[in-house]
Amino acid sequence: MRFCLFILLAISPALAQEAGATRADWLHNGGTQFSWRYSALAQINTSNVKSLAPAWMFQTGDYAENLQTTPIVDTGVMYLITARARVFALDAATGREVWNYRYPEPPPDIPGFVGNRGLAVGDGKVFFGTKDNYVVALDQKTGHLLWKVNTDDARQCGCNITGAPLVAGDKVIVGGTGGDGAHRGYITAFSTRTGRLAWRWYVIPGPGEKGNETWKGDSWRFGGGAPWLTGSYDPALKLVYWGTGNAAADFFDGGRVPAGADKNKDINLYTASVVALDASTGKLRWYHQEVPDDLWDFDSAYEVLLMDRAIKGRMRQVLVHMNKSGLTSVLDRTTGELLQVFAVPEVNTWMKGVTEDGRIIGRNEPQMGKATTVCPSAAGAKSWNSMAYSPRTGFLYIPVNELCADVTPNDHPADEGKNYMNGSFPMKLAAGRTTFSHVDAWDPVTGKRAWSMPYKYVLLASMLATAGDLVFTGNPEGEFFALDAKNGKKLWTFQTGAGNRGGSAAYSVNGRQFIATTTGWQATVVGGGLAGLFPDQDWRLGSTLVVFALPEGSR
Amino acid sequence: MMCAQMMRAQMIMAGLMAGGLVYGQNSQGEAVFAQTCATGYCHGAKGTASGAPRLAGRGFDVAYISGVVTRGIPGTSMPAFSVRMPPPALAAVIGYVASLNGISVPNPTGGQPATTAALSAEASRGAQLFKEAARSFGRCSTCHELGGFGIPVAAPIVHAPDSVAALKSLATPAVKTATAGAEAMPALVLSDGKRSTVFYDLTSVPPVDRNAEPGSVKFADGSAWRHLSVIGAYNDSELAAILAYLRETIKP
Repeated sequence: MRFCLFILLAISPALAQEAGATRADWLHNGGTQFSWRYSALAQINTSNVKSLAPAWMFQTGDYAENLQTTPIVDTGVMYLITARARVFALDAATGREVWNYRYPEPPPDIPGFVGNRGLAVGDGKVFFGTKDNYVVALDQKTGHLLWKVNTDDARQCGCNITGAPLVAGDKVIVGGTGGDGAHRGYITAFSTRTGRLAWRWYVIPGPGEKGNETWKGDSWRFGGGAPWLTGSYDPALKLVYWGTGNAAADFFDGGRVPAGADKNKDINLYTASVVALDASTGKLRWYHQEVPDDLWDFDSAYEVLLMDRAIKGRMRQVLVHMNKSGLTSVLDRTTGELLQVFAVPEVNTWMKGVTEDGRIIGRNEPQMGKATTVCPSAAGAKSWNSMAYSPRTGFLYIPVNELCADVTPNDHPADEGKNYMNGSFPMKLAAGRTTFSHVDAWDPVTGKRAWSMPYKYVLLASMLATAGDLVFTGNPEGEFFALDAKNGKKLWTFQTGAGNRGGSAAYSVNGRQFIATTTGWQATVVGGGLAGLFPDQDWRLGSTLVVFALPEGSR
Repeated sequence: MMCAQMMRAQMIMAGLMAGGLVYGQNSQGEAVFAQTCATGYCHGAKGTASGAPRLAGRGFDVAYISGVVTRGIPGTSMPAFSVRMPPPALAAVIGYVASLNGISVPNPTGGQPATTAALSAEASRGAQLFKEAARSFGRCSTCHELGGFGIPVAAPIVHAPDSVAALKSLATPAVKTATAGAEAMPALVLSDGKRSTVFYDLTSVPPVDRNAEPGSVKFADGSAWRHLSVIGAYNDSELAAILAYLRETIKP
């Protein structure tokens, strides 16, 4: 078996970048800093995945919300964070606890949702963000607190840190939520060693800075843009890439768009954009705004995949980035030049289309005083759960939901730190369908879909791709399953007992490959809300990690 | 919330209103609800649900509503509003949610809007400046908590300096010099005992709360750190407004 795999690897197209694939370890939230969620391990593959079975499980005991983290694995030790920021170090082969750390419960007057989407490991430390906006560093070996530093008073900003930090060189970098409130988003970098501030980049330029002119009056102060998830890092280019949130107010632009502005380009910079920042200074190198004057709550805060691909006969250093609308851009990551753009949902009513140069045509803008049906919904063509990429197939693996919302805007004034969505948006199923999500394989170079596997409810768990030509993810009914990366055929499934709404990882310890996944349906946004669309379903909550391997002796 | 259920709830609401039942008397509760509870992914306009559960027409009684609004639901995203809004607003919003469930709570706040002690115009300006987000880590609230905002790095402010000059030359005897290995830094010591060494590193803003092995950091009185070095985001006129805010807020 192994021999065969070697042959396969040898004849497959040369791996353009070794740097994007994980091996024994899974060191970053997105696998590597290139965020492919792809493992080069192939011990578990299309021919033997049917034998995959649980090796161990770990119950966190924190049932405040579900387990959303992607496990981090470093030299045989796995690190997890729960909804209330309880951090565990586990023996990655057995699940035995090495240490745990409980972040003190923030005071009850701290606003925000309960939940934590991941941690980071680097410089001998474990880093995470908290509901009360501390960036915390623990000793990786002992779990002892080393330092913590506050980024903002949650009571004032209405913001929290829920995304996994990104370690880039000697810095740990975090974003924050709050972009649906009257808040001005930012990305902050601290020294991994001391916790001292390295830089802060505001998504919205202040007076006198280029881009501020794309905001009406004082609206830049509370214009949202919160970059609430995790970026990527190219150590060769020394650039950090990050997606930014929607403009606020979400559904009403009367307060924020300058009179007479051309909505085709550069409105409310740098919201709903993907940006490249100098890793050492935080200075903006380039930007690409995906939705100028966003009126649909279409964040661009999602993952950024860095890869090298041949485009029109020329090898290009590219990045792939999806907006919440499902509009997916392929850019030259050295310059920001747009190379390809395509929309992944099957039902699009928010626009008629997108031109080759990224211009959105036929914008279906919500109108004051009436409900406008918008598809995809503000829950996203994809939620914050991440796609994956396999360099073997060249495909992106994307979980796509087909939901709509009836958006009715209002023009309530901004109140710092308070909700500033300016609209109601009850969600509903896309009309005339019997399935409401699908796992897709997309070729980012051609912008074409290679295959699609429909599913009757919604998909809100991250994807994992491996060199065994497998794609793993889970569904709200609790099934964790493996698809053939080449054609989407379902090869294996396991009932984990609770809905899947977190991350998965592949790693190996002493030559044995493991696949780990988090379970537990999300009670609140957006898992709880979307569960309401399927009243005959009972998607179970929980906070459990399940780890699979081939049975001992079968390899 | 399923769409059909939501529509049914809306129809019930519309029917009740058309039927002339008196629900609309609690405008403060409705306003508080719209700003605080209906927002975003939470309970939706008139409690018809968005991400969080529907509240309209659920058959809740006032005691239940009051308990949940006041104390929250531990372990969920429903916070305890008793610490987040003044009692009149709390009473008004409880009355409003009761009204969504067909219970009339007459005049829950006595018709009086919530009021706070009025600050002078200068002090109000100072209150804004104290925590102004546009000043990033240069604002007072990076290290001081006052009026429910800010990070309490420094001890509570118990005395407003007499003048801008006094604010600039403020004595800070609590700031010591910490030496950890070859590195020295200005520090506010939280604990220096046998079990733990915890201090704020004041080298830059924001201060970093550091934990070290007991005995591994030496603290000496005195420091080169000056309060003046962290208030440069404000001009004298702004500092004067902030002092007015301190004077009117801090009880002698």
